[in-house]
Amino acid sequence: MPVSTKTLREGKVSIHTPTRLGPAEEALAAQLDGGANPQAAARFRDVGLPTRRVEAYHYTDLKSLIRAVPDLASPAITASQSAVNLPGSYRLMIANGRVSEGAGVAPAGVIFRKVDGPVLGERDDAIVRLNAALAREALRLDLDGSVDPLIHIDHRIEGDAAHVVDGAVINVADNASAIVVETFSGSNKAHMGNHAAYVSLGRNARLTHVQIDLGGAEATHFASTEYDIAEGAHLRTLVVHAGSALARSQAFARFAGPGAHADFGGLNLASGNQHLDMTLSIEHAVPGTTSEERIKQVARDGARSVFQGKIVVARDAQKTDARMMSQGLMLSERAEIFSKPELEIFADDVQCGHGSTCGEIDDESLFYLMSRGIPRGEAEGMLVRAFLAELVDGIDNEYLQQAINDIIDRWLGAGAASVAA
Amino acid sequence: MTTPMLEIRGLRARVEDKEILKGVDLIVPKGEVHAVMGRNGSGKSTLSYVLAGRDGYEVTEGEVLLDGVNLLEMEPDERAAAGLFLAFQYPIEIPGVATMTFLKAAMNAQRKARGEAEIQTPDFMREIREAAGLLKIETDMLKRALNVGFSGGEKKRAEVLQMALLKPKMCILDETDSGLDIDALKIVSEGVNALRGPERSMLVITHYQRLLNHIVPDIVHVFSEGRVVESGDKSLALELESKGYAGFDENAA
Repeated sequence: MPVSTKTLREGKVSIHTPTRLGPAEEALAAQLDGGANPQAAARFRDVGLPTRRVEAYHYTDLKSLIRAVPDLASPAITASQSAVNLPGSYRLMIANGRVSEGAGVAPAGVIFRKVDGPVLGERDDAIVRLNAALAREALRLDLDGSVDPLIHIDHRIEGDAAHVVDGAVINVADNASAIVVETFSGSNKAHMGNHAAYVSLGRNARLTHVQIDLGGAEATHFASTEYDIAEGAHLRTLVVHAGSALARSQAFARFAGPGAHADFGGLNLASGNQHLDMTLSIEHAVPGTTSEERIKQVARDGARSVFQGKIVVARDAQKTDARMMSQGLMLSERAEIFSKPELEIFADDVQCGHGSTCGEIDDESLFYLMSRGIPRGEAEGMLVRAFLAELVDGIDNEYLQQAINDIIDRWLGAGAASVAA
Repeated sequence: MTTPMLEIRGLRARVEDKEILKGVDLIVPKGEVHAVMGRNGSGKSTLSYVLAGRDGYEVTEGEVLLDGVNLLEMEPDERAAAGLFLAFQYPIEIPGVATMTFLKAAMNAQRKARGEAEIQTPDFMREIREAAGLLKIETDMLKRALNVGFSGGEKKRAEVLQMALLKPKMCILDETDSGLDIDALKIVSEGVNALRGPERSMLVITHYQRLLNHIVPDIVHVFSEGRVVESGDKSLALELESKGYAGFDENAA
């Protein structure tokens, strides 16, 4: 019948109507046009940036959050100072997307080189796709044996506002152990950083992987990390958001061998109008693997903090033990904390647990501290530090602990200063 | 003539819409130890919280002076720096705050408020050792998080330890005997008695006479229905013990 044909045709047309792109999306599309993958540009024009209707971006609507996209970065002006003070560490720099030489002789067990192209495979995720389409070069690190110094990958965006896409590959060999810290910082401009990392742990490997965003007050920071964890390997992670106005760190982890274990940590320190998003997706693919997630969110002023944690237990992955805990601390009435746990369990002999709490500073504790003469601001600071202590204490390097505690102290100090002003 | 340390005059206070303190008059002279006795719900603990400045208590009338200084306009930390100390009935457990860190922060905050220099670590350690020894507090306990996993007796000893370190002018002990066995009560009382002195006053809040055998008061006040209904020497506590609080209720009317 003519009527139904018309209806069908209309329906079809509406599906293929390209999304109306905003100026930021047009800028991204133009950058993709100049990239190596024309299909990526066409695809992006089709769908644009994800909105809240895309479940994974429900609380982080990139279409409305990203107002402008700076030009792709030109080669860096080298910055000499380290973003954080990590005594005894071995520092490698990726400045404006360009991998530069490490200083001095690489420590025993460390091989690094510059490699081409994207580091992450195809994934149905807007940030990962943009990274893949615009990636030029990446740092590859091969770690073997017991790597003694802390390895510091110092990601920089220097000069005028720039869009930087970079990547790192970190391979930890069988039985090897290492601590790798990635910091993200640079000049105080409206940069957009899109960083990807592929991290593999060989059998019985041990890795502590810490990522710290120290971007400027106008910056946007995206980090996507994929973990492959082999039999018997132990991974510990900590992501700290303590800088950029908009930050989203997403980790995709896959347990590939029995006995593998990972502790995932996350810390959002949200203030002003910041929007900080910590997204984790963990796949227990084989039997006998364990994971623990511990996420802490502190929000003040009108800031927004988001945690999404997904645990998938495959049908064969019996004896999985997966635990997720998200705790939020609200320091103002305007602040918002969102926490979304998701469990998809296809095996029947597993232990999975998740908990989520959100509250304010405990009045009784605050009064107790103040009744001993400790002023309100300092007492609140003590209670926030106490709330965060277990995350920091889990990091097995005192310099790194100190660096993270310094970041927390600076954040608390900035809050106290803004109250006083 | 005695100089007052704590002067409470016509103090009325409420929590939400409920008036709890209904015109408290109480003066503790310098160097004296007074006891406030009253049954549960008579407003004793409210009095201690109002004096220490806890949120949620609204003072509607009256005044409180500490050594001549008006306390009621001050934040809790300012009251502490002015010389007030409240030993809590239920000391708060604060996971993640090391006891030593807390003690040092409290001592330094009060020093700073008084314009004094921060305490040097060796001096701090010496003061801790001395005060802890007197109260039979193991240094191991001080390495733990504040009050976390402390027994009832350990918590109360830790309160008295703080009192000894902070050297307040005016100590309020809220039901310090609750949750203590005889041995712990003795240790705590000895700790408190060691702090008695001509420049320090104390207000001991309790509903049992038992504590007052150990910490012997100069004056006993009977508290009922949100105010002091009778005051006398220590024999009043014994009279209370035999007659019960009911015998004093008519005075409250």
